[in-house]
Amino acid sequence: MNRERVNAPSMFASAARIFELSLGQMLWSRRSVFLGILLGGPVLLAAIVRVVVEMYARGFRINGASVAGPAVFGLIIWLLYIRFIVPILGVFFGTSLIADEVEDKTITYLFTRPIPRSAVLLGKYLAYVVCTVLLVLPSVILVFFLIVPMGGGSIAREFPSLVTDLAMLALGLVAYGAVFALVGTRMKRPLITGLVFAFGWEPAVLLFPGYLRRLTVAYYLQALVKHEMPQDSATSVLLQLFHEVPSVATSLLGLAVIVGLSLWSAGRAVENREYVLEQ
Amino acid sequence: MAPIVAADHLSKWYGQVIGLNDVSVTVPSGVTGLLGPNGAGKSTLMKLITGQLKPSKGSLSVLGEPIWRNPALYFKIGFCPEQDAFYERMTGLEWVTALVRLNGVSETEGVAMARRALETVDLVDAADKKIGAYSKGMRQRIKMAQALAHDPELLILDEPLAGMDPIARRKTIRMIKDLGRAGRSVIVSSHILHEIESMTANILLINQGRIVAEGNVHQIRDLIDEHPHTVYIRADQTRALAREFLTQDDVLSLKFEDEAVVVQTARPDAFYARLTDLAASGELGGIHEVTSPDDNLQAVFQYLVKS
Repeated sequence: MNRERVNAPSMFASAARIFELSLGQMLWSRRSVFLGILLGGPVLLAAIVRVVVEMYARGFRINGASVAGPAVFGLIIWLLYIRFIVPILGVFFGTSLIADEVEDKTITYLFTRPIPRSAVLLGKYLAYVVCTVLLVLPSVILVFFLIVPMGGGSIAREFPSLVTDLAMLALGLVAYGAVFALVGTRMKRPLITGLVFAFGWEPAVLLFPGYLRRLTVAYYLQALVKHEMPQDSATSVLLQLFHEVPSVATSLLGLAVIVGLSLWSAGRAVENREYVLEQ
Repeated sequence: MAPIVAADHLSKWYGQVIGLNDVSVTVPSGVTGLLGPNGAGKSTLMKLITGQLKPSKGSLSVLGEPIWRNPALYFKIGFCPEQDAFYERMTGLEWVTALVRLNGVSETEGVAMARRALETVDLVDAADKKIGAYSKGMRQRIKMAQALAHDPELLILDEPLAGMDPIARRKTIRMIKDLGRAGRSVIVSSHILHEIESMTANILLINQGRIVAEGNVHQIRDLIDEHPHTVYIRADQTRALAREFLTQDDVLSLKFEDEAVVVQTARPDAFYARLTDLAASGELGGIHEVTSPDDNLQAVFQYLVKS
């Protein structure tokens, strides 16, 4: 076989093949198993809350005020998933898209094939999105079924909001993954930089008014949160976060720009960088 | 005939460390051996030729084109790296198929190409076995298979015989020679002259980042024959092997290390030939791994520098 007989695969065809090659590896990696266990945390928490509420109380209360299941679910989605789990998944998977192959010394096999190096990144990024969505989805669905019926919440009525939440979580994974893929390809200590971005920069900047908050992913995800939050003093600080939220269209555009620019820049970095494997 | 590799004042450094120093060389078509001790610049040159590294200075063309950031050239190149790294959970067939499919072939064609490559390296029986369960020799051969699967014009093999058992070693050497006879070009690196010599007479000697000699191997060989050659053999019955070796005139010394016997021989060619026959007969049990430590060639280079 030579190049006269076979056309070079396009960027997206190449990425699709890297995706096929990487998905299985990623799904059964130690990282996925560990993060899968982490995602069991909210389910366990939800189960405990449900049991306690069913056995000892008539409903879920925050500072004495009764809170319905859908609102609690909304809180869990925002505080636990969007602000914690999704960035964690993004950091741990996104920063290691290429780094894992370099560390395992398998990158050579991919970089000595007739495909652009950026296709390797793109294919692995797509595998990350599918892998993390598959990890998050069951956890969120289980939490939904455990929490929403509390305090008279209706699963049927709230089901459309679950679909919206899942789409928002997927968008969050897409956006954080792209940002951390960029961090992984450009920075020397990507994990630390990623964690500082997700749990230092983002929460800090979101508390202040001004334009800096537009340099976060969370700012754009806020507009997509549709849940009504419980009206009580304990959560009032959190509710402030939902002021000055952009429109849905602005959010989607902002996220698209973040994803596009991050992946483009990460691809450029991979194309130009030399990867010296330790012997 | 146009050279397959042409380097012009090629240098590569990593920060303050020089990996390759002002190398100008042309590699003709056919089988060429790249010979040098550890740290000589062999791997750096291989990585430059395979486009993994960018030259710091000078130019490098492979099959008439610059290789850095030129992925289309990999249609014509197959690379078998030195590192023992795989997707361990995949079977040999899955892995080779997945890699050859990156050349733009369909699933069906990819499987057919992978099967042919596995046949070539004699791994058909282990095609559906997970790579994680392969022996070292099998892992070397599966690496060869992924390099061969798309039938490249130029095959670049980094230490391909390391860790192979004598039979696989003999087959691989024969396969490389056959590829050369079939008009393919092969660049093969090793730190063992006798391996290279069994594949080709055309060698590049590299040391301290420079090409110190190129051309026919035989003159250098005469010098090397004066030096004892160390061979590490991992086998089932090391004591029986040792008894056999002690009856041979060319064996200068031997010692045991874990499940291996380490032999010093004055005539490596004759020793390797007998060892392969012993492995093939199986009369002294299985011989699983034959390697030669790097200090053989280091001694030769020291000797060459002195003389």
